Amino acid sequence: MKRMRHMRRTAPELAGTRREGRSARRRAADRLVLAIVSTMAFGVARVTPAYAHMGTGLPGGFESGFRHPVSGWDHLLAMVLVGIWGAFLGRPLIYVLPVIFPVMMVGGAVLGMFSVPVPPVELGVAMSVLVLGLCVGLAIDPPVWAAGTIVATFAVFHGYAHGVELPSAADPVGYSVGFVLTTGLLHAFGVGIGLLTARPKGILVTRGLGAAVALAGGWYLCLALGL
Amino acid sequence: MRGGALPAALLCAALALGLASAERKAALLGLAVLVVTACAVAVGSIPGTWSDAVFLGCWTSVIASAAIVHAPRDLKDWQALALSLNAGVWTGAVIALAPSKGDLLEALPVALCALPAARARRQGQAIVLKVLASWLIAVAVLGAILQFLPATPGYLADHLE
Repeated sequence: MKRMRHMRRTAPELAGTRREGRSARRRAADRLVLAIVSTMAFGVARVTPAYAHMGTGLPGGFESGFRHPVSGWDHLLAMVLVGIWGAFLGRPLIYVLPVIFPVMMVGGAVLGMFSVPVPPVELGVAMSVLVLGLCVGLAIDPPVWAAGTIVATFAVFHGYAHGVELPSAADPVGYSVGFVLTTGLLHAFGVGIGLLTARPKGILVTRGLGAAVALAGGWYLCLALGL
Repeated sequence: MRGGALPAALLCAALALGLASAERKAALLGLAVLVVTACAVAVGSIPGTWSDAVFLGCWTSVIASAAIVHAPRDLKDWQALALSLNAGVWTGAVIALAPSKGDLLEALPVALCALPAARARRQGQAIVLKVLASWLIAVAVLGAILQFLPATPGYLADHLE
């Protein structure tokens, strides 16, 4: 009798435990699938351009593209700032800005691929670092359309710089995957920093970072203008 | 290098994101359709002169499959199957043009991402899928436009060779 009472009391708990167990198993299975797939995807993307001609074009595909956005501080800072600003402004811009940027970057890349003349790219990239740094540093909170337009405009310049190199790449698809992936990861890193604003002194940290980057942007602008 | 496993793997990834909004059974059936169709097409022979059309179809399919993530409504069963069939055809066609048919074994497992993607969507993390979809669309647009360039792309031999 005592045992029956014990069983009655524990039956819902057991069901709950079973549900949790199933859910944990599913989560583990998902993680396993993700781990396998990402390992394979990385392997696929790292394929060396053995089938390509090596005489002309960029020697690497994915690796060259992956390294390109982090090869210069101006590119890197601008992309991290897009993430920080998006997180700073909250929904929907926390995901709209990282979606707009790669799409408009493609627009810029296409202009670069067809060698369409645009204002000096170095100037646009330097301006992006300065303006985005000021937006974060001064905690500017524009309407969604205005923030989207600012980021989209600068994305065109960053894309142009990538697009100019793309046609000569021996493995252009790998190169594209590399630079889009790095760009996205830099945005995600920026969003991570931007989420610090939820903490008591986090807003000071992010605004301080924004101000520091704006100073760097000013310096890049001087360099671009030849001052 | 233009072909290989990468374009096919990207198409499988886009399909996986697209299937995330389908019913679980339809998504699993879709994955099976993808595997069968891709294998059937890949073992066939496709003339090398069709290369441009095949790659354009592949990139267009990547864009269409990834764009579905942004659709407000869930995917119906027949739509999931049609999407999978389309992805299977172009995946197989790209692999048929690839130097090695073994590339199919590298590309197809990427479609398994549909399972964690569906879970992420159910848990209200559709934003992540939308961001990933935009990355895929960006790469696909670049890949598609590359073949319309007036300059000789880096993957083709030119007069300097």
